[in-house]
Amino acid sequence: MTERPLTDRLDETVDAIVARRDATDALRDPELAPLARIAADLRHYPSPEFKASLRAQLERRASMTAVTTAIRQGFTTVTPYIRVREAGLVDFLAQVFDARETFSGRGSGGGMHREVRVGDSMVIIGEGDAGGGGVMPIRPVAFHVFVNDADATFERAIAAGATPLGEPADRAYGERSGFVADPFGNHWYIATPLGRESVAGALRTVTPVLHVKGAAAYVEFLKRALGAIEEMRHDEGGQLRYARLRIGDGAIELGEGEPMPGSFLLYVGDPDALYQQALAAGATSLMPPTDQPYGRIGGVEDALGNQWFFSRPVTTSS
Amino acid sequence: MTQTTEDDRLLIEAAQADPARFVGIYERYVDRIYAFVRRRTENRAAAEDITSQVFEQALGAIGRFEWRGAPVAAWLFRIASNALADHWRERARDAQVTPPDVPDPGELEDIDRRIALYQHVEQLPELQRQVIQMRFVEEKSIREVATALDRSEGAVKQLQLRALESLRKSMGGHD
Repeated sequence: MTERPLTDRLDETVDAIVARRDATDALRDPELAPLARIAADLRHYPSPEFKASLRAQLERRASMTAVTTAIRQGFTTVTPYIRVREAGLVDFLAQVFDARETFSGRGSGGGMHREVRVGDSMVIIGEGDAGGGGVMPIRPVAFHVFVNDADATFERAIAAGATPLGEPADRAYGERSGFVADPFGNHWYIATPLGRESVAGALRTVTPVLHVKGAAAYVEFLKRALGAIEEMRHDEGGQLRYARLRIGDGAIELGEGEPMPGSFLLYVGDPDALYQQALAAGATSLMPPTDQPYGRIGGVEDALGNQWFFSRPVTTSS
Repeated sequence: MTQTTEDDRLLIEAAQADPARFVGIYERYVDRIYAFVRRRTENRAAAEDITSQVFEQALGAIGRFEWRGAPVAAWLFRIASNALADHWRERARDAQVTPPDVPDPGELEDIDRRIALYQHVEQLPELQRQVIQMRFVEEKSIREVATALDRSEGAVKQLQLRALESLRKSMGGHD
């Protein structure tokens, strides 16, 4: 019987290797065996397209991170903006979380603009009926906050006038946490990591939490609109229960739940580009980017009522 | 201080001063992390997802990373190991999943050998490289490759053979 050409024998072996079928026969063929070993190693050859695409994704995110760091020392890309009618939230945060006000001044609408540091995170608070550029509603928002002792912080929150939403308990997701609503209705999920399962290592002290309807579709929207990157996800019963998204060097958490939309300030290098990207993804304009005394700013609202403002302050070094 | 350690120190310092330079860490380690992850995942898509997570997390943490002289690869392997455990935990609800060990010297040697092979693939003549990519990455049949390249099936089989023989020689095999 005439031996079949090496090209054909090799091709059958490659077919078997790629399809994860038994290709050990090839090892008994002295002409074929060394080529079969090379072919077996090639099965795990990384896709050049994948590597190039991941590299581009990392470069995009790194450039957002770099711009934010250059723009405002101490801030990350995403800063929650809480609107309240009256003063008092800063005192509450100071009493409960040892927060420190780093800036306060009268905003263009006449209300107070305050910037507050909680641990390693920044929160902006707008006080008064007329603040928020006239487009930001007064409404409560939710946060995940890591502390050294969740029980003690929970007690301080109650003493400072908060309403308990859930007593401190060990949670299956690797933290001990208790939940409160502050006197303005904002939710604070006060947590201390318990072990390896905790997400604390990937988060800063304060992370905004978005409760939304249709969380899975909303994650896809945030990827398109803001270049968000899904870092962690947990689905249960066909619903997205939890996701952690990275936007630049900031993060948000979200999950299916009774909606609590919020407002966020994103420090970025090119507010116009991100504004256009968000519109193209389906967001609605709140204010096209314009130059203000403090920098360039524009904003959009998404279909779930969350507001995203894109800003590049005048102090930016490009 | 070894050359690798010194290179790692410079890469970390550059990325911490300017996150855009993180790409240097990515270029140096992506193949190694992918190879480690690929062996422990069910398919290419899962390996790509997890490899992406590893570098996304590393970029997110680079500002807080305290370099104490250990190889950057060890840090990345640890992140990969935890990401793999999360991946398998998702697929085996209620089961206890322990993160896989970071690679031992034997596996590291094997990973480095394969990375050298992949670098040789990139040096192949363009048509041979395309055949390797279509056959092994895109998992196309010979017929599909022939159609895509507008060549006969016999010609593609020849290209495949020449590519593999060339890679065997590059990796130190003999005629």
